Amino acid sequence: MDDSASTATVGDTPAPSFIGERLERWVETHLRYIMLAPAVLILAALTLFPTFYMFTLSFQKFNPAVDVPNEWVGLGNFARLLTDEKFHNALGNTLFFTGAAVGIEFVLGLSFALLVDKYIRRLNFIKTILMLPMMLPPVAVAITWKLIYQPQFGVLNDFLFRLGLPTGVWTSGADSAMWAIIFVDIWEWTPFIFLMMLAGIASLPEEPYEAADLDGASAWQKFRDLTWPFLRPVVTIALLLRLMDALRLFDQVFILTRGGPASVTETLSLYIFRVALRFQDIGYAAAMSLFVLFSTIVLSTWFIRRMQMDDSKA
Amino acid sequence: MTDTTPATPLDPLAPLGKIKEFNPTRQRIKKWLVFAVIGFALFYTLFPVYWLFLNSFKTRLDMFATPAIWLLDAPTLYNYVQTFVERPFLRFMFNSLVVAVGTTILALVFGTMAGFALARFDYPGRAKYHVSFWILSTRMMPPIVTIIPLFLFFAFVNLLNTKTALVIAYTGFNLPFVIWMMKGYFQELPRELEESAMVDGDTRLGAFIRVLIPLARPGLAATAIFTLILSWNEFLFALIITETQTSNTLPIGIAGRITQYKTEWGEISAAGFASCIPIIIFAFIVQKHLVRGLSFGAVKG
Repeated sequence: MDDSASTATVGDTPAPSFIGERLERWVETHLRYIMLAPAVLILAALTLFPTFYMFTLSFQKFNPAVDVPNEWVGLGNFARLLTDEKFHNALGNTLFFTGAAVGIEFVLGLSFALLVDKYIRRLNFIKTILMLPMMLPPVAVAITWKLIYQPQFGVLNDFLFRLGLPTGVWTSGADSAMWAIIFVDIWEWTPFIFLMMLAGIASLPEEPYEAADLDGASAWQKFRDLTWPFLRPVVTIALLLRLMDALRLFDQVFILTRGGPASVTETLSLYIFRVALRFQDIGYAAAMSLFVLFSTIVLSTWFIRRMQMDDSKA
Repeated sequence: MTDTTPATPLDPLAPLGKIKEFNPTRQRIKKWLVFAVIGFALFYTLFPVYWLFLNSFKTRLDMFATPAIWLLDAPTLYNYVQTFVERPFLRFMFNSLVVAVGTTILALVFGTMAGFALARFDYPGRAKYHVSFWILSTRMMPPIVTIIPLFLFFAFVNLLNTKTALVIAYTGFNLPFVIWMMKGYFQELPRELEESAMVDGDTRLGAFIRVLIPLARPGLAATAIFTLILSWNEFLFALIITETQTSNTLPIGIAGRITQYKTEWGEISAAGFASCIPIIIFAFIVQKHLVRGLSFGAVKG
């Protein structure tokens, strides 16, 4: 804003050296672009180029393992999306996982934050411990839960057995495998929602609550009419970040179940990985990736819009 | 807020609302409930980490024991010796470290520059707004989308199975994060600081290097630690790009010890716990910045 004023100041200053003077002045006047350029170029090379390349690949049949030239197949790869039952299965699993995991994390995280807010605000130590699960390497997390879920000697079955409750096969059961993975995600990410909500609650203004108290508002009324509207921006950010992350789930599934048993836990990322790497069917993998990219954009835009619409209504 | 006639606090007989009533028994019950819930949350969070830790010190016999052993009276270092002496996990750890440090340096240099530019300069039209959000959106992209073309690209330029390829890719993954974090930290520093330096004859670039960077040091340190953690933890990309001992990172090494036929539980526990140690230390170093870092600087925690 006052940038032009400051460059003017620089122009007035006597130049300190002789050879570098013109270069220095050039750098100074173009500084805004020079500082931004490297990052923008790197990001463009690592995101725009792949996306574009992916786009062209998605119209081809391309298998790097066999020595035949790429063949243009038009919309063939996209047509396959409509009939590929494995793809539909992976899509359904991903959406189910995302909905269940993020939904439960949100309810737990928000309730916990509302409950303990005043008691924990200054206890950074406790907050840091709660944050450990999401910072630890996902592979280590998956290993940990593999140990816990292990049917013969895992601690979960041991614990249930001691309590006289029925034990289970968890990650290898068709009904329980997806929930086992959801549970790991809840363990990892509920603290994230909790801490985001805690930060949001800490920045709530006090006056409206005092006024509400004077009016004799109930706890629920205060939550609905004050806390929730004030928290909404933080809620949007927290849920959006979780949504993006849940939709790309890969590491934990790869270690815990490899998509099994019988692909009940196969996620989109895992299926694309398999099609591209195992079956070397790059064109089809590209078409699926584009679908994922497109739906991620649509979903996040829809979500942001919705949260903003609620905002204007309130 | 259904009541339309607010009670005036000046009237001593006016009802002050339900909340003002003080009920010591209820307060005490709530307090104990809260402590119980916090205690349970801490136990629930820490127990799995403890279980990994415990199992990494168990002999094979203790590990398969039923009922399971919850407290160990004869810990063994066998798993750690197997992992780090007999198998190349020290090498994997070194690879992870090199990749994480390389990524952090590159991402921090370019990200700080861009963060400064977006925090301080004006651009024609709404370019600044669009560039900022484009940068953020690249982070939202599912990695599986970019990985296949990058794999083909790295194969083309002969960089498959190299740490260089990982550093390049991770720099791209981390740049949006570094840019947004540093943009936030710079925006919090008053402009007068650089302006007074420039009045004293410094150039804008000089003021950035000599005045702003030192002041933003806590933010830089926190951002660096987050970048280190993200690179240290990354799995999918390393899985696709690397398959040799000289380039495999720690997570890949660990995953490689799990096969369908045989899983060396003790070894992967030891390697897994070892991979957690630096993260646990880092988490306590950056605790004040954690919420901010995890929300891309959107929530100041």
